[in-house]
Amino acid sequence: MDLTPRPVADSGSRRRRRWLPIAVLTLVIAAGGVIVTQFLTSAIDYYCNVDEIGAKDGCEAGRRLRVQGVVDEGTVSEDGTATTFSISFGAVSMPVRYEGEPGGIFKECIPVVVHGILEDGVFDGDRIEVKHSNEYKAENPDRVAADDGESKGSACSPSA
Amino acid sequence: MTASTATTGRPDRVTGTPFTRALGIVTLVGVLWLSWFGLFVTPADVNQGESVRIMYAHVPGAWLAYLAFVVTGISSAAYLWRRTRSLTWDRIAGASAEIGVLFMGISLVTGSLWGRLTWGTFWTWDARLTTTAFLFVTYVGYLAVRNLGGSHHQRARRSAVLALLAVLEIPLVHFSVELWNSLHQEASVAGNTDVTMDGLMLFTLFLGVIVFTLMYVWLLLHRQRALALQDLVDDTGLDLAIAARRAEVG
Amino acid sequence: MDDLGFIVGSYAVTLVAVGLFAWSVVRRSRRLAEQVPPEDRPWT
Repeated sequence: MDLTPRPVADSGSRRRRRWLPIAVLTLVIAAGGVIVTQFLTSAIDYYCNVDEIGAKDGCEAGRRLRVQGVVDEGTVSEDGTATTFSISFGAVSMPVRYEGEPGGIFKECIPVVVHGILEDGVFDGDRIEVKHSNEYKAENPDRVAADDGESKGSACSPSA
Repeated sequence: MTASTATTGRPDRVTGTPFTRALGIVTLVGVLWLSWFGLFVTPADVNQGESVRIMYAHVPGAWLAYLAFVVTGISSAAYLWRRTRSLTWDRIAGASAEIGVLFMGISLVTGSLWGRLTWGTFWTWDARLTTTAFLFVTYVGYLAVRNLGGSHHQRARRSAVLALLAVLEIPLVHFSVELWNSLHQEASVAGNTDVTMDGLMLFTLFLGVIVFTLMYVWLLLHRQRALALQDLVDDTGLDLAIAARRAEVG
Repeated sequence: MDDLGFIVGSYAVTLVAVGLFAWSVVRRSRRLAEQVPPEDRPWT
């Protein structure tokens, strides 16, 4: 007896459904390929620390880097369209010049990751990301009222 | 979450039971409580300001997605083990993976909003973000494989093997922030001996985990039963086809 | 304020996504239930 499934009345909707998982699978494999390629072509370590430049493999001056360091207190200044400041990590400091206004929650005394190239001792950055830590503390309402969120007076907390 | 009456067998409580209805109400209350605490009661963070509020939706979403994928893995193992083989395990695995994909997707969206506010970018190819995206895509693929067709047991065996492979990615995602230099912050609570978080913030984070767990259980029960209905309907369709063919031959 | 939209948006995305999923599960099972007799539902 022939028991092969036969087209039923609603086979239209069923057949339409059949290609969907295959299309999704194709997309998934393509997306997986893109993700793996992105992961392998961009450095697996997201950044070099300031003190690793020239010391660690893949952190040479003159090539495109992402560098992590804490923004030094009192070094942030704006000249024209650029923002300059210095970042340090492990007692090594590095001047940074960035074209434009840093976004995110950029301020002094917090760790940042700057993308760019180290040329003539100055790191020419074109992208800044704020690497906030996993410490969560309630904002002190008194201090906020006093200086509007600018932490000028407060000591640089050693977060690195 | 379903508006329903107490009459048994009414179509509006197909996959619901008195338990899931009570659970739904508790979940809704929890969602309101979490939104109230997360958006209004908890303090702003000293570094991140108000944007820290996204954490109460982002972190529980990611954790429950992990949990959902682990449940998929365990149910798949239970299906593959001969002594516990049952299509119910397969349907729990499938339902859990769907919810996991939902939660992981939510977590990716909320995380990218949080990243825009704090890091200054929606997306970057950092170790945690990349491995999470890969995990998400893997389980979308798992769901596609479940729908490739074949008999229920073919579907179950195929997807169970895939689920056992996919669950191995979870430790990679979780420890990616410790294995490599990563823009994403390290685990704040899980596996961290000295938690540096304000008390109320920590409480609200745990409240978030509980609320997301309730949502997960509610969704899992309903989705699993819906899948059982689907399998029954498929079986009935096959029975009818066989009966029709028999009638022709006879 | 930009932040406000993002923060409220993240909660809204979460709740809307979960709500839509729950609604679609319930709706689909109502459709299926028309083809399944109530005695075949072991959970009731």
